[in-house]
Amino acid sequence: MAIIVEVLGWGGKSRRHYRVASDSISIGRGYDNDIVLADSYVSANHLQLVATDKGWSIEDLNSRNGLQVIKKVGNIEQVFESGSEIKIGRTRLRIVAEHQPVDDARLLHRLEQETGKLSQWWIWLPLFLGTLLVEFGSIYSNTIIEWDWGKAIPLMVGLQLMIVLLSLFWAMLGRIFRHEAHFLGHYSLILIASLIFTVSGVALAVLDYNFSGLLLTRLLEYLVLILVVFLLLSANLALASNLSTRARWLSAGGFVATLGLIVLSVELVSWGEFSPLPEYSSKLEPPALLVREGQSNEEFLQAIEHLFAAADNNKKQ
Amino acid sequence: MDRQRASRSPVWLALLFLVIWHNIAVAQNDTARNLFADYKSAILQIRIIDLASGSKRAIGSGFPIDQNGLIATNYHVIQLAASEPDQYRIEYFTEDNQTGLLSLVDVDVVNDLALVKSEGVVAEPLAMAAGEPQIGLPVYALGNPLDLGLTVVPGTYNGIDKSSYYQRVHFTGSLNPGMSGGPTLDPQGRIVGINVSTAGNQISFLVPVGQLRKLVAEYQARGGAVEDISQRIADQLMADQQQKFGQMLALPWLTMPLGDADVLQELSPYVKCWGGSNSSDNKAQHLRADRSCSSEDNVYLNSGFNTGAIEYQFFWLEADKLNSLQFYNFYQSLYADFMPGNRGGEEDVTQFECDNNFVASGTGRRTKVVVCLRAYNDYPDLYDMLFLQGTVDHSDQAFLSHFTLAGVNKPNSLAFARKFMEVSQWP
Repeated sequence: MAIIVEVLGWGGKSRRHYRVASDSISIGRGYDNDIVLADSYVSANHLQLVATDKGWSIEDLNSRNGLQVIKKVGNIEQVFESGSEIKIGRTRLRIVAEHQPVDDARLLHRLEQETGKLSQWWIWLPLFLGTLLVEFGSIYSNTIIEWDWGKAIPLMVGLQLMIVLLSLFWAMLGRIFRHEAHFLGHYSLILIASLIFTVSGVALAVLDYNFSGLLLTRLLEYLVLILVVFLLLSANLALASNLSTRARWLSAGGFVATLGLIVLSVELVSWGEFSPLPEYSSKLEPPALLVREGQSNEEFLQAIEHLFAAADNNKKQ
Repeated sequence: MDRQRASRSPVWLALLFLVIWHNIAVAQNDTARNLFADYKSAILQIRIIDLASGSKRAIGSGFPIDQNGLIATNYHVIQLAASEPDQYRIEYFTEDNQTGLLSLVDVDVVNDLALVKSEGVVAEPLAMAAGEPQIGLPVYALGNPLDLGLTVVPGTYNGIDKSSYYQRVHFTGSLNPGMSGGPTLDPQGRIVGINVSTAGNQISFLVPVGQLRKLVAEYQARGGAVEDISQRIADQLMADQQQKFGQMLALPWLTMPLGDADVLQELSPYVKCWGGSNSSDNKAQHLRADRSCSSEDNVYLNSGFNTGAIEYQFFWLEADKLNSLQFYNFYQSLYADFMPGNRGGEEDVTQFECDNNFVASGTGRRTKVVVCLRAYNDYPDLYDMLFLQGTVDHSDQAFLSHFTLAGVNKPNSLAFARKFMEVSQWP
């Protein structure tokens, strides 16, 4: 019966494996062994594996650092069944039989399957033009002095450059982790995220203007930001790394949570700090974006009466 | 020859003028000299001593007004001791280096007056002038400017400022820090006013002696010191706003045009109005015309807190070269930029509480209205109100009106808001 010994690396993944078709195999640093390990903490003749009915028994050959059992499969004493893990010196080994089942092949992430599409010009070019247009619109509508291309163009180029640099960064990560770079894929993803963020920002502003709850809108803004960053990060990781779905979501979630905590702590620092200036909703939008009707003067004056009690409640005790 | 004489006459005139001026100056100096000699013992330096360090924290002037040791000064001179009696004490210091302890017995915070009392008689009291002096009368302000020692400043009595709600005598002469609380005397040595403030360039203000007489009468009627100064101040602020808003709300509120809108005219004597526009700005992409009215004399409560201010403003905006989005972005930046008309610190006022909603004005226009309120920590039922109303139903024109009131109670602030919304409109 052949025996397979896997040398495990980071995260318990197999780095290399040895296959020996024999009932008894020796493991050590010496060249006379069946499996030769280049680990200076392993003795020259470290241990001997002997096949039994159910698995293998392990015999320590008086090694200097001994043997550490990491995971023992099977109930029979001294018998290690397929899948058991041991550590000798600084090397972790897994012992498996030929019949050891393996997991089903993982499905490629949709993004990866469609990476080709994301990199095609009829995807990224409209996205690029779209963000350019949205940014131009935003700068143009915010300009209340004489229009000056000389000031607008650097602003627009600056944003586009940032997106390109970010895509390059992700492509570089992909090159390192997967030996594969998807620059245009990352670029399209970032363009999509920035478009979603801008459009949702405008929608929220209109919402805030019409149904202003100052706190709620700010909360929604944060939520949208967190969601967009989370999805963007997760999608970019899918393209640039080998992480499993779970690990990917965990790392994206961890990053977003850290970011949220930083923002929250910055907000908390100034929370409740006295300001002599009033903080009121100053949002104004053109009449076309207003859907609310107005109260009468009297209704309004009655509705604000609660402010007197609210102000009194702010008094120092 | 004739030509020569003609050319000489202006020189003659000038000389004549110089001589006359010189004579007046001499006469004034004589009076000043006499007043100084006669009354220097009655001008006291008032010192606020920090108990922990034993050093003076603030100085001003004061003067005895009766035979029982009653001394008048400004409220703002002794304010620290009034607010923090455990941290400060009040002392007087005479021209011949006598010193002694003073106790605070009464204040008139609205007119910036205070009465303090010494154990014994410090000096011969000064007499108050019976009536208002004639305008143009030379008068003499006495005090201790900048801790330099007793000083007399000659000037002119210019009557009670009719454009101001709080009564102030306009005195043409230079009052300087430290002279606050000192008396201004007529040539006969009678008090015509109490030095209180300066607007620079020889324009100074006195509290009319009549206000001091009223305060002394109240003190004497009570027959003793006020026990709770903070309550006394609260009562005075409440009564003052009640009277002021009662009068102001009873006035006919007349309007004048600003752009296409009707805005409130000057409510005299509560506010003074100014106006401006950007019409001469060639680079401007929009048109902005504004009218701003504000009260000029506020009630001093402490160095970081004043009240009694009233201000209102109107803006007429036209998009001109801006499109609707640009215009509303500009409008929003203006709308976001309002603040209270008076100062107040964390110890004095609460954080603002704000609310906003859309209001259909009397003329059927949709407007966005914001109201913010803060309460006074030490004075119950008094608030600062900020009000903002801007039209939002026209894509390239807008009318924005704003007011802030300081130190006003709930009924008066709501009544003011109601009337303001009714009067200032874009038809």
